[in-house]
Amino acid sequence: MSSERSCITCSDAAAPMRVVEVELAHGLAVCVDADGRRQQVDVGLLDAVALGETLLVHAGTALAREPA
Amino acid sequence: MRFARELRDGALARALASSLPALVARGRSYKLMEVCGGHTHAIYRYGIESLLPDGVELVHGPGCPVCVLPMGRVDDAIEIARRPGVILTCFGDMLRVPGSRGSLLEAKARGADVRMVYSPLDALRIATENPQREVVFFAIGFETTAPSTALTLRRARAQRVRNFSCVCNHVTIEPPLRALLDSPELELDGFIGPGHVATVIGARPFEFIPREYGKPVVISGFEPLDVLQSIELLLAQLAAGRCEVEIQYRRVVGWDGNQRAREAMAEVFATREHFEWRGLGSIPYSALRLSDAYAELDAERRFALESVRVADPRECQCGEVLKGVIKPWECRVFGTACTPERAIGACMVSPEGACAAYYSYGRHVRDGEPTTTTAV
Repeated sequence: MSSERSCITCSDAAAPMRVVEVELAHGLAVCVDADGRRQQVDVGLLDAVALGETLLVHAGTALAREPA
Repeated sequence: MRFARELRDGALARALASSLPALVARGRSYKLMEVCGGHTHAIYRYGIESLLPDGVELVHGPGCPVCVLPMGRVDDAIEIARRPGVILTCFGDMLRVPGSRGSLLEAKARGADVRMVYSPLDALRIATENPQREVVFFAIGFETTAPSTALTLRRARAQRVRNFSCVCNHVTIEPPLRALLDSPELELDGFIGPGHVATVIGARPFEFIPREYGKPVVISGFEPLDVLQSIELLLAQLAAGRCEVEIQYRRVVGWDGNQRAREAMAEVFATREHFEWRGLGSIPYSALRLSDAYAELDAERRFALESVRVADPRECQCGEVLKGVIKPWECRVFGTACTPERAIGACMVSPEGACAAYYSYGRHVRDGEPTTTTAV
């Protein structure tokens, strides 16, 4: 959904993003969406995330993992 | 992105839709409410209504947080933004929502420093980069978005960022659903439940709907096949005389949600006794404020805001649209005085607002039935 016009406050803006950098000490990760856009993401709601995982991100926070 | 192609497959959608008429009793009507604006958007975008059997009607619910925010709160945001030294940050869709004296975008044009952010984390970064300015995050959203605000406020406190604060407009899903279910105007047969709110709070909090009101709920994903399958599950429950909460969106949603998110919200927020909803009026215990432990980060206290209650514009029928009593195109100002470019009501502002979705996808013929676009 990330490449489509949608409203960030509504839950369909929870977009799958892939982890490309992990800053575990700060509870953060850098993720990219399907269009390659990078965003810093708070991963504090999930158990330790790993490079390459796909997360469901809403308003800069990962809410869940996409199933493998 | 992994599932997008399969879940938007037109042939699969038509095959699924062909199984629906067998679940529908001749002559009976079915009113199913999609609670979430994200579902409204998917339904219009993919033409899902045109795949449904006669008698099955989708009613668009109050689940767009932009659409339900009353004018008084927009006025509050503008009031803060106009103060010297303030940077007001908010999500993009908030910028165009009309208050009683214009929108945040118009306040920005008149010189206020209003900035769009994609996350509360972005707002906090603006605060750390501008230590001489007061940076205020105008938070809106249901339980999907509230954890993000909670984590950022925790972070701000841990990092002792003194020039950051938050106007909390977060709302919770259960009270407006109860208000709708208690409303005599509306007879609903079932609910397409909000998938990402349920990712956070779990499916269990929706059990009051079958238990107390006797209506089925299916927690749904946001792709067109997710929504169609959820409609099938609802119709199957109704056909079999069952009434329960089911999870269609199982690849993400569980019964208990995300425990850390619920804990963060419980720590950072407290329930407001009253909160005004656009079109729905005051609903008790339906919104969140910052808890006393986070009072120092509460912009309403820091700026001594005196929130005023502002009546909705008289010509606007957002309330009836939000309650599903009328379709967007039945509103007296739809597509004429009220358009996405110059909205009177908030339902025309957000892409997930029912009116904007109708308008954007060409479903705005005023006389008679709306036009349809190509299905899925």
